[in-house]
Amino acid sequence: MKRALAAAAFLALAAPASAWAHATLLQTKPAFAQRVERSPRVVLLRFDQSVEALPNAITVYTSKGHVVSGLTRSTADKRAVTVPVQQLARGGYTVRWRVTSADSHTVSGVFTFGVRHPAPPATEAFGASGPTTTEHIVRWLYFVALALVAGGLGFRLLIVRGPLPPQAERRFYWIAGVGAVGVIEVGIAAFLLRAEDALQLPFGYFLYGDLSPLAKLRFGLAFMAMTLGFALVSALLFLAWLTDRRVLLWPAFLVALGFASGLSLSGHSAVDSGSSWLSELADWLHLSAAALWVGGLVQLAFVVWPLAPELRRQAFLRFSRLATVLIAVLLSAGIYLSVLRLPRLSDLWSAGYGQVLLVKLALVSLALLWGAAHHFIVRPALERGAPLFAGLPRSLIGESAVGIAILLVAAILVESKPPARPATPQVALHAPAP
Amino acid sequence: MQPPAEFVHWMFATGLVLVGLCLLAQAVVGDEVWRRRPWRAYLWPSLAFTMGVLMWPVMVFFTNSTIHMLAHGSWAQVMMFSGAAELGLVRGKLHSRYWRLAMPFAFLVSGAAFLIHEQNSWFFARAAFLHHLIGWTLIIGAIFPLLAVFRPRSEAVRAGFALTFVVLGVMLYCDRDTAPVFGHLSPLAGAQHR
Repeated sequence: MKRALAAAAFLALAAPASAWAHATLLQTKPAFAQRVERSPRVVLLRFDQSVEALPNAITVYTSKGHVVSGLTRSTADKRAVTVPVQQLARGGYTVRWRVTSADSHTVSGVFTFGVRHPAPPATEAFGASGPTTTEHIVRWLYFVALALVAGGLGFRLLIVRGPLPPQAERRFYWIAGVGAVGVIEVGIAAFLLRAEDALQLPFGYFLYGDLSPLAKLRFGLAFMAMTLGFALVSALLFLAWLTDRRVLLWPAFLVALGFASGLSLSGHSAVDSGSSWLSELADWLHLSAAALWVGGLVQLAFVVWPLAPELRRQAFLRFSRLATVLIAVLLSAGIYLSVLRLPRLSDLWSAGYGQVLLVKLALVSLALLWGAAHHFIVRPALERGAPLFAGLPRSLIGESAVGIAILLVAAILVESKPPARPATPQVALHAPAP
Repeated sequence: MQPPAEFVHWMFATGLVLVGLCLLAQAVVGDEVWRRRPWRAYLWPSLAFTMGVLMWPVMVFFTNSTIHMLAHGSWAQVMMFSGAAELGLVRGKLHSRYWRLAMPFAFLVSGAAFLIHEQNSWFFARAAFLHHLIGWTLIIGAIFPLLAVFRPRSEAVRAGFALTFVVLGVMLYCDRDTAPVFGHLSPLAGAQHR
């Protein structure tokens, strides 16, 4: 009976969905991101409540920003608004709308559709200006947070497997916890910044902007999945701390690494031309290896070194061995992705993407040299039983700093557009079969 | 495909009522009796923490407006945080009584989120009325967990704290989008649900 009651209580809580309380866009024609084969005569938006629409409530733009819509009208029941459009040529179109709810509050949004052409993503709607410096910084913070949680967990499970002194254990949980919460918080900020850019609304209107077209993009789906995944990681991390059960760190680690793939499944490696499951896999391996490397270095420099002196030697030697594997994965995947995204060698210095990549390569070379010094000079000495170098902690902090700087450049790279691949000659496309 | 708003409200209302009843039982029988079975001490903080975790799906699947997304996100975080702080104290992992301030903080943030994200006036419809009422109940009700930090044994404070949860749960059960409040429904609200 008690178990049945407990199960009933759990089930009552276990299937949440969503709620709405004001004018909500229920349906559009054409639909979000729909490709239509014939030019529509009107664009229609249907709401769950009556709305008031000014004559310019809906504006339809071509990809070049020409307005192709007329005056907006409401239907008899006031729950739908329509705008006539000209005969639309082949291409992508952006619909920006703003209506006043019957209760006098404004709701707004944007969506796209294509006529005999794929609809552009809402993030590339007409008027969206693309990533800003703030977005670069937010993306960088996201990578750092991901490294702190995934790398921290990896270090705790693969390098320092046994118990840590209480103070060191507490600091490990603090760092990994800050990483887990950071991924969620910074992820929300990144999603909202992208949405703000797509919607192009003043802040007051943005608060009531409809984000659902963005939530249906790969980017939005990745945001949703990763938020849920890292909420679970936070819960597991907390339970591991609360119950002193390190075994709970394993699912947290695997979920963190698994959901990190959201970035790979929604970024260049998934959507640009030439992308395939292999590029997505390479991107995820690249990201995971970087997170494990940087996060592990942070744990080594800020947890083990100051708070667990008896574990320094063993942790350094083990991490050094793991780092060799990580660097190999990082380089292999990175080279593959660079070749994929830069069709010509000259793109390295002629395209913006290539130039940022060059800066990243320079920093990676510096980090590799630093790591090589640790691997080929410090490690053999420690294996021989030589005393620990006094400058080693500072050196580890320096290597971590270079790793974090690489993440900043990686953040800029992720937000940049790779150069276009050369078009396939038409002759080849239409070549007759032998 | 999303279920009606009321269903979600009812699910979380169930959680709030369960938390409130646990707290009320603890206030009535006293700590000594309540903790004869050690797991009981974990009951309401675990419920609060679990409700926080379950609020995340609501946040990510509800993207019809930025403000609602942020409100659901803030509830998810403060419920997890306050539940976690209480669990840490019960387990003995946290020692400072000031961790109990997490609960009044959660009440204040939740109340503010209710009031800020509700665009309509009090008498627009039942949902608007109850959103205002829940917001102010949370803000005023924050006094109970705040006093509990300094007077943890006060029966009045403990009962007030428990009843705040019960009242919040009952209000959330009554929450319904476009239903009349005191027989009144704004003509601007649209047709009633069902």
